Amino acid sequence: MREWFAALERPVELLVGLGPEATPRAGSRDVDFGAEMVRVCEGLAELGENVTCRVEQEPEGFPRFPAVSILPDGRDAGVRYDGLPWGYELGSLVGAIVEAGREEPTLRPDSLAALGELDRDLALDVFVTPT
Amino acid sequence: MLLAFRCAFASERIAATAIEANEFPQLSQELGVWAVPRIVVDGEPRWDGAVPEPEFLRRLLAA
Repeated sequence: MREWFAALERPVELLVGLGPEATPRAGSRDVDFGAEMVRVCEGLAELGENVTCRVEQEPEGFPRFPAVSILPDGRDAGVRYDGLPWGYELGSLVGAIVEAGREEPTLRPDSLAALGELDRDLALDVFVTPT
Repeated sequence: MLLAFRCAFASERIAATAIEANEFPQLSQELGVWAVPRIVVDGEPRWDGAVPEPEFLRRLLAA
């Protein structure tokens, strides 16, 4: 991960939002999700100079907590992870950081062309689990 | 999940959020999340499961 983060072409900020948390499914009630989120994101920020972490209480635009917004160059790109990205999902957060740190997107040219034709806003939610 | 993030980074028209289903069980129940990944577009469940990039884009833009 240090090599990936060292290759980032622009800074990436992780904005961690903490606040009132939902009651998770049974079996995970003893986990302090907010504290774990801070630990994970601060740990990632220690792996590269271009990755930083900021923690705020109930930042604007965060409907659920804990959550982390991935900000390329400090800009809100509409990319957020709600809940603790643990297990295999840690890879999704790391991948988002790497993508955010690129000057050019890695989608196929035909995908970029199709997105360029988009004439309305779309909110895409992807439900995931750690396994 | 990463494909959704890539779309959002590539287009200012798209916002992409990953939601950890176990941590938000009420929302997951409301949207009938029984399999993951479940893809929801503008609040409407659309499909379950990972698909290749061209198919992902086709389904997303048809939503």
